[in-house]
Formats: sequence, structure tokens, C-alpha cells
Amino acid sequence: MARYVIVMSLLFVLAVLPATAGAPPSRVPLSVLVCGMDIQSAVSLDPAQGFEFETTWIMQHLYDQLVELPRDFSRPLPRLAVSWSASADGRTYTFRLRPGARFHSGNPVDARAVEFSFRRVMQLKLAPSFILTDFISRPEDVVAVGSDQVRITFNQSMPENLMAQILANEVASVVDPAIVQRNATADDPLANRWLTDHDAGSGPYELIGWSRNLKVELKAFDGYWAGRPRMGRVFIQNIPEPTAQQLALQRGDIDFAANLFPSQVKALSGQPGIVVKSTPTFGLEYLAMNADYEPFRSRQVRNAVRWAVDYEGIKRIWEDAIDTGQTIVPAGMFGHLSDRPFRKDLTRARTLMREGGYERGFKAELVTSSAFPRPDEAAKIKEDLAQIGIEVEVRVLRGAEVLAIYRGQRHHLTIGRWGADYADPDNLAKAFGNFDSRVLAWRNQWDHPVKQTVKQAVVERNRARREAMYKEIQRIVLEEGPYVILGYPVRQVAMRNNVKGLDPSPLAFTYNFSDVSKE
Amino acid sequence: MWAYLVRRALLSGLAIFGVLVIVFFLSHIIPGDPVAAILGPQAPHDLIEDIRRRWGLDRPVHEQFVRFVGRLVRGDLGTSIATHRPVVQDLREFFPATIELATAAILVGVAAGLSVGITSAVAHGRWIDHVVRFFSLIGLSMPVFWLGLILLFIFYSRLGILPGPGQLDIFLSRPPAVTGLITIDALIARDFSALRNALSHMILPAVVLGSHALVGIARITRASMLEVLGQDYIKVARAKGLAERTVILRHALKNAFLPIITVIGIYYGGLLEGAVLTETVFGWPGVGRYATSAILSQDFAAIMGATLLIALVFSLANLAVDLAYGILNPKIRYE
Repeated sequence: MARYVIVMSLLFVLAVLPATAGAPPSRVPLSVLVCGMDIQSAVSLDPAQGFEFETTWIMQHLYDQLVELPRDFSRPLPRLAVSWSASADGRTYTFRLRPGARFHSGNPVDARAVEFSFRRVMQLKLAPSFILTDFISRPEDVVAVGSDQVRITFNQSMPENLMAQILANEVASVVDPAIVQRNATADDPLANRWLTDHDAGSGPYELIGWSRNLKVELKAFDGYWAGRPRMGRVFIQNIPEPTAQQLALQRGDIDFAANLFPSQVKALSGQPGIVVKSTPTFGLEYLAMNADYEPFRSRQVRNAVRWAVDYEGIKRIWEDAIDTGQTIVPAGMFGHLSDRPFRKDLTRARTLMREGGYERGFKAELVTSSAFPRPDEAAKIKEDLAQIGIEVEVRVLRGAEVLAIYRGQRHHLTIGRWGADYADPDNLAKAFGNFDSRVLAWRNQWDHPVKQTVKQAVVERNRARREAMYKEIQRIVLEEGPYVILGYPVRQVAMRNNVKGLDPSPLAFTYNFSDVSKE
Repeated sequence: MWAYLVRRALLSGLAIFGVLVIVFFLSHIIPGDPVAAILGPQAPHDLIEDIRRRWGLDRPVHEQFVRFVGRLVRGDLGTSIATHRPVVQDLREFFPATIELATAAILVGVAAGLSVGITSAVAHGRWIDHVVRFFSLIGLSMPVFWLGLILLFIFYSRLGILPGPGQLDIFLSRPPAVTGLITIDALIARDFSALRNALSHMILPAVVLGSHALVGIARITRASMLEVLGQDYIKVARAKGLAERTVILRHALKNAFLPIITVIGIYYGGLLEGAVLTETVFGWPGVGRYATSAILSQDFAAIMGATLLIALVFSLANLAVDLAYGILNPKIRYE
């Protein structure tokens, strides 16, 4: 019994002891990178299908695209294409391919492979295909001209930067036709099933294996045209629980923890051996008002809501992991309008409610999912709107149910998030401002003439004029639209301090392993 | 005996079919949009409608049910809309991890539960009995998620004597899959380092998952033993001068075992359903998270596949318990 008491006391003391000076040294070899993250949502590593944050990130390393973008997304850079030229009307681009680039199979990357890959995406018509098909109407619009040139005809005039945003996307990855054909079956002629957990790419890393809900293992490609990456192996370990990720990082079993809560990031910040990085993302957290619901038809009421929300309170809920911003193009993206006219001003909000004919308030239902921090945001918004007479009933539902209600335009209010599919304001303007694109403006029944400007801006090739048009779109949506932009979420990750060059990009989950080294 | 087994199999088949019918219609009645949930809030409307058509989700529910049954009789559970893989393949991948964890957990639960229950019964009314009952109550009300994190914190993070999340160290390769059970496959491949590693990864999740079974088994063991220990034949055994250990283990426990085996069967069946919280904390690739995310996203094929699996497991667990009755008590006959 005495021994039992001693052992239990020892365990207790060890457990409550503060961490010894610094985290234990990393147990991961210098040539290996281990990332801890929740990869349960990963569906497919086929570029024609993968559309989740986790898989698009991995596919960036398995596959090459024609062009790539620098961290500021300001201009296209060569990747598989070494150069390109545009027709006078800006609709047709001709790309000259990089000589010497090879697939992991050893086959050369040629123009036929590019043609095959794009057409394959358009034939399969899976989740991310719209990124291509919104701009390229028919498979025949992508044509191999000889072995080293590809001609792509878009369905509109394409500003060069928008062209690059589309063609740098993972859905525009080039796959090895020979490997695809070798693994095709009668009922799966484009080998979609096989490519789900195999690779047929030419990127800096090869896929060694994917054990679902366990790990993904990558190996540096020796024959990569840009040279072999320094990290010889990369492991992505499935650790769904943020606390377990934190413990594994502190213990030195992983180099990088991707899914931490803001409070954990704060706790890790300043700890010896650990580095915390925060990156503003090209995403928005917003409150949507259905403009088909009688009170929200009034622009004054919509503005009253915008003046009633406590933006600083929302930021506190996010524990500062959100940047305050009120326009639909996030800070850092081309065309961003930095106007922030709204703050909590109940006098002004009540005046607007009176002007809108709702001095005595009204009832509205707010549907939201249980994902962090939606229920807290909903409670805060309920409290804020109650102060101007809007009695909000909050319903926290499963994500699938919220989406069904939202898509069915059956909501009064809902809280949503939008992460840019590509780093061009067109992606946001189309969603928030163009009713005809049947995304957010349509879901919220806001059919406004600004949609014509959205359609014109996307084909405008003069950079200054294009920027001015997007600023105008943002101004109109800000003052008249059915949204309250709550802020731009910040991505926070923690890593061991010997990891260098692993910088999150503002686009969701994009980190470039090729630049990573360890000391 | 054989006639009994055939009749049980038929009855189980009927019960399972009934469960499938109920779950199918319930899962289709609850509001939600599986395609939108899978594709996310940013997917364009036309693409969602197109995929809904391709998956046959625009068809009337009764038509979808007929197609489901048609596929089922061919042994095809359909394709998961979330993973885009045949549900059979998904279950084949995730269920072995659940079997391993559930088996380890029930072993923990049985070994510790029996010991605690017997000790408590033998020491009935004394301080040790009160302590055991107190901790049983705490154990039963302790959230699995919390217990998992605390154990991970102590034994992995602070003491470093047990491994962290996962089924195997990240740098180790899985042994070639024969059964899908890592421990068995490692034995077959004579890969003893993988076996040791897999077993050590199993300790914490098995203890966490087994803790609830432990409490349940301990409580039923105590109650059942107390009843038996008061019987005349126990007094006779003691009067004959038999050693107390023999009286407890051979005479009392054997006769107290029927309700205990029932509880063990129920717990094991429950553990084989998967344990979403334990799997989440320990990054365990089991069927619990698969089934839960299927329910949350209304992935109908996956829901039906998981339902079928769970119903089968429960039927088999019940059958095993019934057969165990006959072994423990030869007076029981199967008719």
C-alpha cells in the first residue's frame, strides 16, 4: 500500500510539474518533416477531385501546374511552362513547356499530357472542375500544338493574373497520361479511383502511401526539374485532437501542428523551442441576411444590423485570431478596399431601424453550425441585435442541415465563411455580388445591378481600371449588400524552432515543403 | 444445437433487415443536404445539382431504397459520397483497427473489472468495498475525452513512457496486410518491433476505452458474487475446509458468471461499434469516426454500411453470449 501511495504521488508531482526548461529536443531527423494535422476530411489525391484543404495542399507537392504564383500573388511565375503569350483579345494563351521536365514514372512532361489532364478534369466534372470550366468552356479549347506547346482558349478575355490564378490551381495539375491509362478500368476509364490514393505527377514529391486516418508519406523526387527538395521525407500524421497535436509538438514527435485553437497558440507562444506563426488568410467570416425576408429587404435595416454588431466583441470571441475588415476582398489581395465604416453605434442603428419602418423591431431566426466559434458568435449577435429590437432565435444545427437551409434560401440569418478558391477578387466578387452565379448573392436573394460590374471586371485587362472596378464593387456590397463582414480569419500554426521556410500562405492550407530546411 | 443456430441466424437476419429499413428511412427523413455538405459551402449550385443527379439522390426515397436493397443482395453496399470509395472498402480498412482496440479494451475491462468486483464482494461492507464503489461511480461518470487527454498528458507528454497518438510510430511501415489487424499481421510477418510498437500504442486508448467496461463489469461482478456468496453450497464448501481462493474462484465465481458474461458481451458489442471520442484523442483510424462523420454529413451509403456492420456485430455478440451460457452451465439446452 505504501508503495502504491509513493508511486501515485510521484505520478501526480510529475504531472503537475511545469515543463522543464524548454521543450525536449525534436526527435524527428533533420532530413524529415513531420506535420501533425487532422486529415480525416481528405477525400482524394486526384487533382480532378481533391478539393479539401488537406488534399489540395498535398497535391501541390505531387503535381506541377503550368504556372505558379509568388507569395504576394502579384504576377505569374513559370513552372511547367517557361513562357507564354496571349492573343490580342486576351482569350487565347499559348504556353511553351519546360524541356527536361519528367513525371515520377520517368515519362517526359509534354503538351499532350497537359491537353489530356485538362480534358480529363472537364470530363470527370467533379468538385473542383468549376474552377476550370467557369473559364474554359469545352475540352477542345485545350490543344497540344506540337510536343512542347499548348494553346488554351478561354471563354472570355483573361487578365494575365486571373489566368495565372486559374492555371496555378491544383485542379490544373498535369497528370501522366500513360500512368492514368495503365490504371484505367472499363467502369473508370480515367482512373479516378486509382488516382485517389496514388500519384501520377511530376511535382517535387512522390507519394509513398496514404493510410487513411493515419498518415500520408511523401518522398523527395530525385529527378525534379528544379532540383531535389531538402526534406527527403515528409509525413503528415493524422492527429485530429488539437491538444494531442500540442503535446506531440512539445514532445518533439512532430515538427509542425496545424489545427490548434487560438488559446493553445497563445500558450505555446514564447515557449523555448517553439515558434508560432500567424498569417492573415484570404477568407471571410460573415453574417448573411436573406434579403427575401421582409425586414431585410430594407437597405436601412441591413445597415442597422451592420451598425449594431460589436466587431471588437467578435474579435474577442476569436481570441484575436481574426483581423477586423469589412469589405469582401480580404486584405492582401489585389483590389482590397480598406474601408471600415461600421462600428457599434446603437443610436445610428436605431435611427436606421426607424427609417426602415421597423422601429419596434422584429423577430428573426439565425441558423448556424456547431463549428468553433459559431455558437459563441451567434450568441453575441443575438445579444447585439436585441439592443435594436431584433429578437433573434438561434438554432445550432449540423453543418449539412445549415447548408441545406442556406442553399434552399430558407434562412433569415446565418453565419458563414468563405475561403478564396484562387487569389483574385473575381472569386469573392462573383460569390458575394453576382446573383447570376448562384452562390451567396443568390442564396441571400440579393439581385443588384452591381453584378454587371462583376461581369465586366473579370474581363478587364487594364490593371488599374480592374482594381478601380473591384473597389467600386466592394463599396456597393459594403453599403448595400446582405452581409455583415465580421473579419478575415488568421491562420495560426506552431512549429519547432529548427524548421525554417515553412510559411503558411494566405490561401488555405498552402505551405511549400520545397522551401523547408531544418537546422 | 444446429437447429437453434439456424433459427437464431434467421431471426438475426430479420432483425438486421428491420434495423436497415428504419435507419434508411430515418436518415433520409432528417433534413440536410449531403451533396452540399460534402462539397462545402462554396460549391456552385449547378455542380451540386449535377452531382446529386449522378449519385441518384434526386430520385424518390422508395426508389433509392429499392436500389439499395438490390445492391445489398449482390453484396454491394454502395459508394460513400464522402470518400468516393466503396463502403465495403472503407469498412475493411477501418474495422480492423476497431477490432484490435475493442479487444484490447475488453481485456482490460474484464481483467480489472473481475478483480475489482471480486475484491469488493469479498470485502463487502468493509472500507475497501466503499473505496471501490466510490471509484466505480467516479469512473462511470468520468468523460472519456477528458480521461484520454489526461492520460496522454501524463504518460506520453510528461513521463514519456508511452507513445502518443496513432496506431504505429510514424516512421514504421505497416506490416504487409493479411488480416488488416496490425498486431496479427506483424506476427505473421515476424516483425516483432512493429508488434511491440503497435501494442504499446494500444495501451492508453485501451485503458481509456476499457475503463467504462471495467466499471460495469466490476459492478455486476460484485452484485452477482454477493448473491452467490450467500448460498448454502458456499457455506458447505467453506465448512469442508476448502481454501478461500478455491471457494471464491472455483465455486462462487463460476456460478456468478452468467450475468457477468452477458454484460461482457454487451460491452464488447458496444466497443466494436467504434468509439469516436477515443479515436479522436488518440488518432486511431477506427470505424467510430467514419460512422460519426457519415451521420453528420448524411453520407447515406456509409450510414447504411456502418449500420449493417454494427447490427451484425451485436447479433454475433449476443449469439456468443448465449452459446457461452451453455458452456458455463451444462443444464442450459438450446432448443
